Amino acid sequence: MRRSHEPIAWSLFGAGGMLLAFIGPGLVLTTALLPWLAAGDPHATHAAIGALLAHPLGKVLVLASIALPLFHTLHRIYHGLHDLHLRAPRLPMQLLCYGGATLLSAITAWWLLLV
Amino acid sequence: MTDKVTVRVQRYRPEEDAAPWEQSFEVPYSEDLSILDALNQIKDQQDPTLSHRWSCRMAICGSCGVMVNNEPKLSCKTFLRDYREQGAVTVRALDNFPIERDLVSDISGFIDHLETVQPWLIREQETAVSEGAYPQTPEQMQRYAAFGQCINCGLCYAACPQFGRDPAFLGPGALALAQRYNLDSRDQGAAQRMQWLNAEEGVWSCTFVGSCSEVCPKDVDPAAAINRGKVASDINYAVNLFNILRGKDDA
Amino acid sequence: MRKPYVQRQRADWWLRNPAYRRYMLREATALPLFLYSLLLMSGLYQFTRGEAAFLAWLELLRSPWLLALHGMALAAALYHAVTWIALVPKILVIDSDRLRVSPATVKRAHQLGAVTCNAGLLLLALLLLRAAGGN
Repeated sequence: MRRSHEPIAWSLFGAGGMLLAFIGPGLVLTTALLPWLAAGDPHATHAAIGALLAHPLGKVLVLASIALPLFHTLHRIYHGLHDLHLRAPRLPMQLLCYGGATLLSAITAWWLLLV
Repeated sequence: MTDKVTVRVQRYRPEEDAAPWEQSFEVPYSEDLSILDALNQIKDQQDPTLSHRWSCRMAICGSCGVMVNNEPKLSCKTFLRDYREQGAVTVRALDNFPIERDLVSDISGFIDHLETVQPWLIREQETAVSEGAYPQTPEQMQRYAAFGQCINCGLCYAACPQFGRDPAFLGPGALALAQRYNLDSRDQGAAQRMQWLNAEEGVWSCTFVGSCSEVCPKDVDPAAAINRGKVASDINYAVNLFNILRGKDDA
Repeated sequence: MRKPYVQRQRADWWLRNPAYRRYMLREATALPLFLYSLLLMSGLYQFTRGEAAFLAWLELLRSPWLLALHGMALAAALYHAVTWIALVPKILVIDSDRLRVSPATVKRAHQLGAVTCNAGLLLLALLLLRAAGGN
């Protein structure tokens, strides 16, 4: 039997899952309320978020909060489609799911560098 | 009181049937009637052609596993009284295994997987019997004791959708037993077993459905064993990557 | 003569019992959470385009569709958190000669940590934005 490369996917899935359990509900509630919280002074909100995104630590935290859940959810979607008997060859599906998560994470990192 | 209860039994006679079908029997009900008692009553009093496996009647031999109302159960420790509210009881051969005849499953796929993981004490150097047993403290035994309770009944395989999807998956029972030996202080075979855990057909086919642990009649918790195996395989993968970078590959 | 009947798994296997349906629901939490990550990405993108674009995105968040997505993502995140932490003690086993922590303690510690972090994040966001709003 050949060594599986699943450990890479599983580690990222695990990190994303733990992160989502610890900050997922809080983060979703925050962005859900954001338009109302910002209503008083939208410019100040923009500036506050800008300060977060300008700081290197802020960039890392935002990247983690987007990239790790992407790997987590796309890992589950990949296996879920297999569970549902989706008739698709493995390799293209892996490219789509894990390649997709990698690409979206890279784009996120790029945008963070632009800020 | 001559209360009767309906038991629907799956039949499959390879000589004449193309596919399994269902036959209804009326069995005299009593409070202490197990599914196995009901099957024996049917075979002895009503239809001697019914085939089912059993031996010890006390949940230790692991041979009487069947699906009772779509759940894997040992028929000897499952009682009709617990199904009174659901009306009729349906008994089928275990899911995910080929059906040999009626309720008799061919579990050889599971047995082959068991042998694959080398479930015995592996020593780098065997010592002579005259030197005595390998000592172990009660605390050391406690670490694997739960995983050692397996009676090879196959219920976890019937409950595992990933084994149903792909029978090449080593499955809950075999991987729990691999973990049982890996956690045994007297064993030195963890590195040797790692190659099976590391494979796609090893721990990595598991998606932690968790049903194996729910149906286990011996509380072995194979799902926990497999997922601890994933952690071990994960670390092994990282170590191997590091070794490749240093120019050594375990291939 | 042997002629074993091979049982093949049906594509709708997961509808057959409640435990399988709960498993599929757990896996399905990934769908709204994936869309939510894309929403966060779109917000970041609008931020890179300047203040006006970002404030337009903020207004867009009031739309019923995105509120519905937020609602689904919140339900998914909560279900995910509960089911995830329930499984943590099976994977994170602390049982060595030096240190032994019971599975129940591992679970409680994670529950406490998750509640603290989630509430802390929300509180922090409220305080910072109130401060930023100057009221």
